Amino acid sequence: MKRRNFLKGICAASAVAATMTPSALLAKEAHKGENALSYDAAVAAITSGKAVTDSAKVSLTVPEIAENGAVVPVKVNVESPMTDADHVKAIHVLTTKNGNARCADVMLTPLNGKGYFATRVKLGGTQDVVALVEMSDGSFLRAAKPVKVTIGGCG
Amino acid sequence: MAEARKSMIKFKPKKFKVGDTIKVDFIVIHPMDTGLKKDKKTGKVKPAHFIDNITFSLDGKAFTTMKVWETVSTNPYFSVNLKVPGKGKITVDYTDNTGEKNSKSKKLKPKG
Repeated sequence: MKRRNFLKGICAASAVAATMTPSALLAKEAHKGENALSYDAAVAAITSGKAVTDSAKVSLTVPEIAENGAVVPVKVNVESPMTDADHVKAIHVLTTKNGNARCADVMLTPLNGKGYFATRVKLGGTQDVVALVEMSDGSFLRAAKPVKVTIGGCG
Repeated sequence: MAEARKSMIKFKPKKFKVGDTIKVDFIVIHPMDTGLKKDKKTGKVKPAHFIDNITFSLDGKAFTTMKVWETVSTNPYFSVNLKVPGKGKITVDYTDNTGEKNSKSKKLKPKG
């Protein structure tokens, strides 16, 4: 094989590789787990069409930049007296772009004393983390914060 | 049922009185596989394997129930509050999507 032909061959191969990579990545993203549910569908399933209001009562603590998307600490605090008549019924932790938007549904009772929940979640990429809180009177409150992820944690 | 998993319940702060609101932390060693990752050794996709239901109870009465998905990190950590009503036993029961059941308990001993 002549040197020129050899170089041409390399160029062609690298071009093919360059065009292949993004499509291969897309194919990987399209492949989702059995529980895959988009954010909108998850919210609709939880609220069953009720209005959701952004509220200052819900404080969501997440890092602004997560170096590793596999472990992102999430903390939710809800201001509430936690009595039988007025308490936090449930805290839902959701993400906007993960294959499965749902992370955890936590059902609380007045015994908890405070509307608090903390865990660690995986994030597939830069996206918003959302805390959707259901109060005992049936209203829904929401708080959302963006998290910048440098290395994804899903898939 | 598989072998018992390593798990831990922690109360924060360690010393507390009746009526105090404390944190109850629960940590368990679990792979939380999403069903998307490939096993590096075999090259096959690992099936999804994650904890899906958790119940925190005090003397048999559930005070917090959780439904969890594979999007929670490996070796998951869950923290909730509890207003201490008196002496008792905290039990955390958890099941995963393969039907594995486990539980962990710790005595609640308020002082003063």
